[in-house]
Amino acid sequence: MENETREKFIIPIGPQHPALKEPGHFEFSVDGETVTGATVRLGYVHRGIEKAAEERNWVQDLYLLERICGICSHAHALAYSLGVEKLAGVTAPPRAQAIRQLVAELERVHSHLLWLGVSAHEAGFDTLFMFSWRDRETIMDVLEGLTGNRVNYSVNVLGGVKADIDDARADAIRRGIDFLEERTQHYLKIATSDETFLRRTRGVGYTSREQAEELGLVGPTARAANVARDVRVDVPYAAYTDFPVQMTLDTRGDLEARFVVRIRELFESYRVVRQILDRLPAGELTARMPRRIKEGETVSRIEAPRGELFYFIKSNGSDKPERIKVRTPSICNFAVVTGTAKGHQLADMPMILAGMDPCFSCNDR
Amino acid sequence: MSTEATLQTAQALLAPWTKGARAPEPDRLDVLIDAADLTAAVQTLHDARWGYLAAITALDYLGKTASFAQDARWQALMASGRVPADGAPLEALYFFAAGRAIVTLRMLLPREGAAIASICGILPSASFFERELSEMFGITVTETPDPNHLFLPENWPAGVHPLRKDFAPGRQ
Amino acid sequence: MATILGKKWDEALEQVKTWARVNSPWAIHFNSGSCNGCDIEILATVTPRYDLERFGVKLQGSPRHADILICTGPVTLQARDRLKRVYEQMPEPKFVVAVGSCAISGGVFQGCYGVVGHIDQVIPVDAYIPGCPPRPEAIIDGLVKLLGSLQAKGEATAGEARHDSATAHS
Ligand code: SF4
Repeated sequence: MENETREKFIIPIGPQHPALKEPGHFEFSVDGETVTGATVRLGYVHRGIEKAAEERNWVQDLYLLERICGICSHAHALAYSLGVEKLAGVTAPPRAQAIRQLVAELERVHSHLLWLGVSAHEAGFDTLFMFSWRDRETIMDVLEGLTGNRVNYSVNVLGGVKADIDDARADAIRRGIDFLEERTQHYLKIATSDETFLRRTRGVGYTSREQAEELGLVGPTARAANVARDVRVDVPYAAYTDFPVQMTLDTRGDLEARFVVRIRELFESYRVVRQILDRLPAGELTARMPRRIKEGETVSRIEAPRGELFYFIKSNGSDKPERIKVRTPSICNFAVVTGTAKGHQLADMPMILAGMDPCFSCNDR
Repeated sequence: MSTEATLQTAQALLAPWTKGARAPEPDRLDVLIDAADLTAAVQTLHDARWGYLAAITALDYLGKTASFAQDARWQALMASGRVPADGAPLEALYFFAAGRAIVTLRMLLPREGAAIASICGILPSASFFERELSEMFGITVTETPDPNHLFLPENWPAGVHPLRKDFAPGRQ
Repeated sequence: MATILGKKWDEALEQVKTWARVNSPWAIHFNSGSCNGCDIEILATVTPRYDLERFGVKLQGSPRHADILICTGPVTLQARDRLKRVYEQMPEPKFVVAVGSCAISGGVFQGCYGVVGHIDQVIPVDAYIPGCPPRPEAIIDGLVKLLGSLQAKGEATAGEARHDSATAHS
């Protein structure tokens, strides 16, 4: 009898879960309402992209890798293009690099707003979900106007970019950014002062700085625990040397901090977008790229909306890569769920999961 | 600390196990070590709080054995009799990053019975990477806390490893 | 007499069902290996600018309550059986919409070892919405067209029922 009452239960969540829009499978062992352990099972959307990349040529791979993730497609295309250019010894012209950074920051805005909505939905705050997604349409219009597509913008080519910005376009982007900046003030206010919302976030899912480093967290999830790690600052790429960004840190390490860091990052993105528009370098959009890439290996790292994206590219001198390794930020951040679940209420788990902004299709590849 | 200084620190830390070193790019240092020394090397980096584990992956050198003729690790592997004369090795790569600096620990492994020790005891976050390494390349990670598949289905045929070069996906 | 009433009853019931289904179909979304691109556009359709719910379409979580299965992505090894199961769990009549190039043909992921094919190699598909990803407008248009065809079908079946009862009477 004694044994029976102490029996632990396993609660499986997923792969088909109405709130998680993507398939991943978590198992939480619980004692009453308290979580005692967590495991994750991935691979439901594993397509085998790394292998396929070895069978396609350098240019085809750009479009394949871009489709690792529809939310941060530009991050993948950018990390790949920068890496391949490094191997080939080609540098994209300054104007192209600035446009790449501009799109990367616009993508961050779209991704963070998307996340804000989804996690508000997890918290049962559907009004905020609807508001943030309505406002997100502004950035979608901006991206579409600039690149011709709302998702998978395909703005990169090897050696540069496809899309250019004229004065009319720049004004349109500025207008969009102005509107969003005002809205973002509002979101920051909600995330830091709404009573019901704070009950779901303040003090929940706490990770200390040591823990965050130990778990190998990246991106806003790490920065919310005061881990100063941001590829844009540490290893500036594209045009981040000319248009630097400030790292957004928070010392609290709980869910509220993760909300605040992401929302504050939006302001930084708006600022740098304006700066790029004001001082966009003139000149060419592309540099010539060879069809075959010199033999060699390179590492290309960039800061995707969810954290450090790591590409390892090896060329054997032919028109196809020898090996492409993609390590996405989400796989590092899953540790925040599996590593800190213990002791939390089961009901908090969806929020903690949303708080790291998981991306399963990035992960599974 | 400048990137060079950071890399030099790493080089000094890893010196006891280094079988060879090279700088493939300005901010990078490749350190060739024996697979048996992996945990010791990782422990040293960890104790010195040098950077963080950025990624683990591997390379398959099927048909490219010639490029190893000069490599001490390859000669040692051949001498141990674990690699058939025509067999090509696998190479496991452990990336550590500190700011701009990236250090890669590189270990040659025989194709048959490739095995490497888990570093989860030092860095628990390596678990996912190790699971991926073993299913994709057929490198057994001994004492890894969770040896299950991460991405591949449970009923995936044993002994088939998608990222090895002799695996050719069946076309639809 | 009872049979005549029964027929009339069936006919009326059929009409009511079609009316209800066409006016407020419930949909479930299943991702069988997509890149998320299609999924976020589907999610965008329920948000204020596009507001799919004005056509009565509601996205919800359980296959047992769903009339329409909205599929995205190529079908991966691990998703195939789940896709089948979700489809089987849905009550009749059920309709499947394949959203995006991947769902239609495997798209850019054709030939990947983790991909077994596209949606209609696993379950029957009623409507295809192309694009990578399709715009929210296109997704709504596809769904509305599907509803239109249901209405037509519903009227046809109701007509048949009427015809049957007429012959039975004579
Ligand atoms: S069709 Fe395009 S956007 Fe949709 S899942 Fe496939 S690659 Fe992604």
